[in-house]
Amino acid sequence: MLTYVARRLLVMIPTLFMISVLVFIVIQLPPGDFLTTYMNELKAQGEAVDPSKIAFLRAQYGLDDPLYIQYFHWAWGLLHGNLGFSFEYNLPVTEVVGDRLWLSMVLNFSTILFIYVVSFPIGIYSATRQYSWGDYGITLLGFLGLAMPNFLFALILLYYANVVFGTSIGGLMDPQFINAGWSWPKVISIIEHLWAPVLVIGTSGTAAMIRRLRANLLDELGRQYVVTARAKGLSPMKVLFKYPLRMSLNPFISDIGNILPQVVSGSVLVSVVMSLPTTGPMLLSALQSQDMYLAGSFLMFLALLTVVGMFVSDLLLAWLDPRIRLQGSISQ
Amino acid sequence: MFSFASFPTVPHAQKHKVAFASGAMAFLLGCTLFAGSAWAEIPYFADKVKSGVLPAMEQRLPEHPLKLDFAAEGKEIGKYGGDMVTIMGRSKDIRMAVVYGYTHLIGYDQNLELKPDILESLDVNEDGSVFTLRLRKGHKWSDGAPFTAEDFRFYWEDVVNNEELFPVGPPRFLLVDGEPPKFEVLDKYTVRYSWSQPNPFFLPELAATRPPFIYRPAHYLKQFHEKYQDPQKLAAMVKERGLRNWAVLETDMDRPYKLENIDLPTLQPWVIRTQEPSDRFIFERNPYFHRVDPDGNQLPYIDRMIFNISNAKLVPAKVGAGEVDIQSRILTLKDYTFLKQAEKDKSFHVRLWDVGYGNYATLYPNLTVSDPVWRRLLRDLRFRKALSLAINRTELNRVLFFGLATPRNNTILPKSPLFKKEYATENIGFDLNKANALLDDMGLTKRNDDGIRLMPDGRPLEIIVETAGENPEYDDILALIGDSWQKAGIKLYVKALQREVMRTRAYSGDTVMSLFTGIDNGLAVPSSVPSEFVPVNQDSLQWPKWGQYYQTGGEAGEKPDMPAAEELMKLYDQWRIGGPGQQKKAWEHILDINAENLFSIGLVGNVPHPVVVADGLMNVPEKGIHSWEPGGFFGIYHPDTFWWDR
Repeated sequence: MLTYVARRLLVMIPTLFMISVLVFIVIQLPPGDFLTTYMNELKAQGEAVDPSKIAFLRAQYGLDDPLYIQYFHWAWGLLHGNLGFSFEYNLPVTEVVGDRLWLSMVLNFSTILFIYVVSFPIGIYSATRQYSWGDYGITLLGFLGLAMPNFLFALILLYYANVVFGTSIGGLMDPQFINAGWSWPKVISIIEHLWAPVLVIGTSGTAAMIRRLRANLLDELGRQYVVTARAKGLSPMKVLFKYPLRMSLNPFISDIGNILPQVVSGSVLVSVVMSLPTTGPMLLSALQSQDMYLAGSFLMFLALLTVVGMFVSDLLLAWLDPRIRLQGSISQ
Repeated sequence: MFSFASFPTVPHAQKHKVAFASGAMAFLLGCTLFAGSAWAEIPYFADKVKSGVLPAMEQRLPEHPLKLDFAAEGKEIGKYGGDMVTIMGRSKDIRMAVVYGYTHLIGYDQNLELKPDILESLDVNEDGSVFTLRLRKGHKWSDGAPFTAEDFRFYWEDVVNNEELFPVGPPRFLLVDGEPPKFEVLDKYTVRYSWSQPNPFFLPELAATRPPFIYRPAHYLKQFHEKYQDPQKLAAMVKERGLRNWAVLETDMDRPYKLENIDLPTLQPWVIRTQEPSDRFIFERNPYFHRVDPDGNQLPYIDRMIFNISNAKLVPAKVGAGEVDIQSRILTLKDYTFLKQAEKDKSFHVRLWDVGYGNYATLYPNLTVSDPVWRRLLRDLRFRKALSLAINRTELNRVLFFGLATPRNNTILPKSPLFKKEYATENIGFDLNKANALLDDMGLTKRNDDGIRLMPDGRPLEIIVETAGENPEYDDILALIGDSWQKAGIKLYVKALQREVMRTRAYSGDTVMSLFTGIDNGLAVPSSVPSEFVPVNQDSLQWPKWGQYYQTGGEAGEKPDMPAAEELMKLYDQWRIGGPGQQKKAWEHILDINAENLFSIGLVGNVPHPVVVADGLMNVPEKGIHSWEPGGFFGIYHPDTFWWDR
């Protein structure tokens, strides 16, 4: 087990290195750099840009250096926990991300919770009552969430939340609470705004989860040990929860690897449409304006979380399902 | 000598100062004595004044504050208090606070005449080469430090002429033929810039919506400057912020346009109080702002200006839900019907303002295109005329703009003192017969099987029009134009690109034709720089290479080689050197040549802009001009005079 863990850990280093190179290349791919984008945007609004000032900024921010030097500059900083400097905000990346990070977490933990709370019972119900009206009806609901374009659903919810409840459009709280200290009304306001994005992002995730649970559970329900347990007179509920359900938890656990990065990046599209103060829209705008250290550090952070998440889910799986662990050691 | 007279000033401020200038007790006495009169304290500051943190209003104002002429602006005296909320699309747009604040050394009034604003007065010599700037005695920065000639000196000597901060030297408007001005500090409140030749760029630049800030808060910025700060302390500050050197630190701390440093003193009506990053920025009133209303009350009336940041796509919906007090940014004519409908049960009204740009969409035939066949065609006036005559602008207007726009050329607007009717209306009638006759006359008579004319070298006459791909209406416009051009034997293809790519292609001569917005400054006055009508700028899509040639001093691009363009360059020099007397003549000539030659093919202009104003927000004009230059959108209407009646 220990060698397994150590090997998994060591593999993470070259993986992250490869990712960092890729991320850097991808960010540098579009023509121009942050300053050309910035200049064009100013020009679009009729503002004149002083070319000499731009030349100065380019030199100061090291945008004149060859790419590999810029890369090493950035990578060196990352190794020392320095995420670099955001041109757009004129602040260190860590300061820019600040508040948004945990608002993203609030949103995404709520969403994950929502997905579990909805898909768990539905999955169990539809597996135990396969091909019944209930199965069809309830999974149809799940598919509706998957099929409906997220942004459309989001806009409709925003509109009705405003018309019916008078909730301010977009955002995660009423404007007067932004930057304000914590208070009870602020929490209420967040809850008031939170349900719509949770519903939008959540419904698209439930269908997949329901299907996976249903399929896994169906696999298990037909197995010999279930039949045996039933024949021995265990109550159907007890049989279900004690054995097959535990076995079908596999996908939930392997999902943890994806959950961590999701919690940070969130559902970018929905966050953009609903103008949520999460990290998703910030990543998008950083990519658009070629604010390369902000975008790069974000992507690296997400990559790190994915790798760590995968590691955690592997450990959990190994603990949950001995077959995985055994195979790992057999191949050694 | 002529001078820009200052607005009426308030001489009795000094008397009060003499009478009560003995210690803090007298201060307090002064406040109470004058409470209720025109000098009543602003409620927002009442506590601070009472506790002595802030001096009384009369002590905060300069000796001769700028008294706004409410009668001329059609305004009424207001009351203090309240917030003014508006929405911006990105947090970068906090710079709009400076645009709306519209505080310049010298700025335009509503008749587009230049008037001193921060300056008390400004003297210019006969030929426009010596400028004497006089400050207001007792004018203070937002932190209470005096605003003096030292701030100008600091900018000139220690900022622009510092090699590390400005490696390439002072900005172009401060140079005449490469020669920097002679800068003198005459006394604590007077500075002078003089050149050996006229500098017509100086005043328009100072009055530009984005002013160049040739003064900086020296008392604050010196702490980040190598020359004044202890090297060890400076190095520590640089290190703490993780920057490369002190020059970056100074530049970061010193952004008078994008007010993001909450400690940077300013002269604006509102001062930023929210640190980036945020989704809501609060600007609080500047206690030392230099303007007063006719009764002598210090402006602004409104305590706080608030920018909420929201995704641009949600803005119309948010405005419709009544979440703003004033909004024009991001809204377009498309939102008008929706907003008008929402108006019924929300407490706001939509107004339609005129716009300042010459044209909503303009076709730019690239006269400096690399392809020699295309170049010959596009440079033929008959060809450009034929293209223009084969466009049904009335149809465009009706289909896309509810008939609210005006078919017109890409030229200045009727409100400009230089305007002549024919500038706007020549060659815009829809006349397919004439267009076909012109093309036949050019010898483009052969056609292929689809009825498309053939170019002299046998290729079909297919014009690819490139757009920046940002405005979906542009595709609709081009679809309509394509239909009518087809009838003149010309095929149109649309190529939507990214803005950067589009520009680079134009600069390099790959673009045959592009569709872009028309001229920015439709309200030009003789002193405005005529750069949009003369090949001096590579961003002018009708002649990018000529502009490049001028901008790089002949290192890149091509020398203008059409007689009309050469003439334009001569006139530009005339405008530049001729002094104020010659400028109008040069402008008229330039506009004549542009109208005759149809260098750009304007489509429709005057597309009105919706402006949403909450009920009870007073002093916002019913009709205005929504334009970046000149005027800074709301800026020219002095948002510091807006007030709440509720």
